[in-house]
Amino acid sequence: MSDVISRQQLLELVDAWIAQDKRAIGPVAVGEDLHLFMSMSDSGQLAMEGYIRPQNSIKEFFFPRHEKIYRYHFKGHNIELEDVEPPATEQLIIGARPCDAAALPILDHVFNWDFKDEFYNQRRNATTVITLACATFDDNCFCTSVGLSPAAEQGSDALLLSIGDDGYEVRCLTDKGKALFEDKTQSSEKTGEVIDGPEKKFDPEPIGDFVRNNFENPVWQEIALRCLGCGVCTYSCPTCHCFDIVDEGTASGGARVKNWDSCQFAMFTQHASGHNPRANQIHRQRQRLLHKFGIYPEKFGAILCTGCGNCMRNCPVELGVLNSVEILREAATRNTGEGK
Amino acid sequence: MIDQLRQTCRKLLEDGTVNVVIGYGHSGGGRNPAGQSTPDGPVHPVFITRPEDVDTLVWNDRCFANLTVYLTRKEIKALGKPAIIVKGCDERALVVLEQESQIDRSAMYVIGMACDGVGDPHALKCAVCDVHRPRTADIVIGETAADAGNPEARYADLDAFLTKTPAERMAYWTEELARCVKCYACRQVCPLCYCERCIVDKNRPVAIDTSATLKGNFAWQIVRAFHLAGRCIGCDECTRACPAGINLRLLNQTLARAAEEHFTYRAGMDPETPPIIGSYSQTDEEDFIL
Repeated sequence: MSDVISRQQLLELVDAWIAQDKRAIGPVAVGEDLHLFMSMSDSGQLAMEGYIRPQNSIKEFFFPRHEKIYRYHFKGHNIELEDVEPPATEQLIIGARPCDAAALPILDHVFNWDFKDEFYNQRRNATTVITLACATFDDNCFCTSVGLSPAAEQGSDALLLSIGDDGYEVRCLTDKGKALFEDKTQSSEKTGEVIDGPEKKFDPEPIGDFVRNNFENPVWQEIALRCLGCGVCTYSCPTCHCFDIVDEGTASGGARVKNWDSCQFAMFTQHASGHNPRANQIHRQRQRLLHKFGIYPEKFGAILCTGCGNCMRNCPVELGVLNSVEILREAATRNTGEGK
Repeated sequence: MIDQLRQTCRKLLEDGTVNVVIGYGHSGGGRNPAGQSTPDGPVHPVFITRPEDVDTLVWNDRCFANLTVYLTRKEIKALGKPAIIVKGCDERALVVLEQESQIDRSAMYVIGMACDGVGDPHALKCAVCDVHRPRTADIVIGETAADAGNPEARYADLDAFLTKTPAERMAYWTEELARCVKCYACRQVCPLCYCERCIVDKNRPVAIDTSATLKGNFAWQIVRAFHLAGRCIGCDECTRACPAGINLRLLNQTLARAAEEHFTYRAGMDPETPPIIGSYSQTDEEDFIL
């Protein structure tokens, strides 16, 4: 026996949410081959399936690309500071993929580590995440290589599994999930099918060992030579979380803001002296993979990657975690072969 | 075609004419478990320095990237004298780069590929392309039956767009640019965005908001387009690279048409025509000021 909800009822639930002036977020078809997680003004925009996954992630609804943290006003020779209240708007994210939701516990560690980020936490508390188990995958997907699966439950408040035209099986995983679907589902004999997912393509542990012990290996050049240094891999990554803090304003005042930043930009590590400790894309790509498979796991015991494949799909030169790891694995074999 | 390409590159590397071939290839995901290239795998830029590696070169309708972007990169320059593979559209960037003293054509070997068009269906630029066969390359490989394109249709998208009211156009750009996350993929793939330090990266003082807000995004995309006015060669790499699907092509076309209408100039078409931004003429009209 399972709990199911029809497609129509699910859309009504989204419209009811919007009618209460709450924010509903889901995958929206933006172009022919482009879906993005966006705020919706009605449930008709919701494009749940029929493609692999949206090209962005849900992180921006917890950690927006731009956020004011306080305002400042110049008053004569004094400066007045004004708090910005963390947003309290309730959010419903519907149609997240397991590789999106699984990034949330990973981000929780970072935003509650030495400093508790109240903006992030407030949004996290005010958001219900309804995930749709994947029914398909492509060559860029590798969730199974980083310990997840097409029906992974991490970070989700409820998991939906398609039962075809009849709608979805609903598996409530938290109180938030239960509250959302209370009295909205029916009992059914039907259960959603869980697919096997992409074959396991690598083991992250030896990759972690390799990146930690091969800081000066020529393999980094092999990986990074074609990298053009944009930030698309990091910005479309569900787990990348770096930001910059800048003041933006005029002669009368302004705001201190937190903006997304990317380790792939030269400016990310540029010192005021002009020196840049990460002088080129070789250093910057190394940093990205080291953070994902070495540094973050050492600190928090998890891999900073959910295998969504967005970095691969979005990269203008076909460079992402998956093919970088393939090159690292080849290099690791070479090292072993040479008895290093 | 591919055999001739590989043979040409092998010879160039073997006889020391060049040190590196900048071309298209498969690796990683594009190989089967036996390590052979898979014909439908993704294609990406490769840098080949050993003659024995030329067999990894490919040529097909997924060779989207404009490889000339690499010619001004330090890490690529460090590999030595390059041979570069260009399509007719990419080749226009070489002309502009040379006019702007960014490259020395005599210090490279240009391999032109006759091109029927990329993408399936073909990219928008290919439908109106009039440079299917490269014109200034050291060698042109292959033949193409593709015709010269219809110059009337070159700005068809723009013409259609300009029938909208200013308010409708503003609404359109507001919706498009709201999606910009400022990943700067548009800038990084552009062969003509070669500034050592882009104006958006200047922070003492800040010239352009770094925020990916509507204000910051409009500022960025307008600055980007203006800096490419009379320089953009219409390769549409920015549009292909944009993860938010923003129609940057339309913005670029606006300026390309202004250059064509007011100065009968198309960037990168003719190495002998002085670039409009880099030349002065007393006969320039003054009634068109951006």
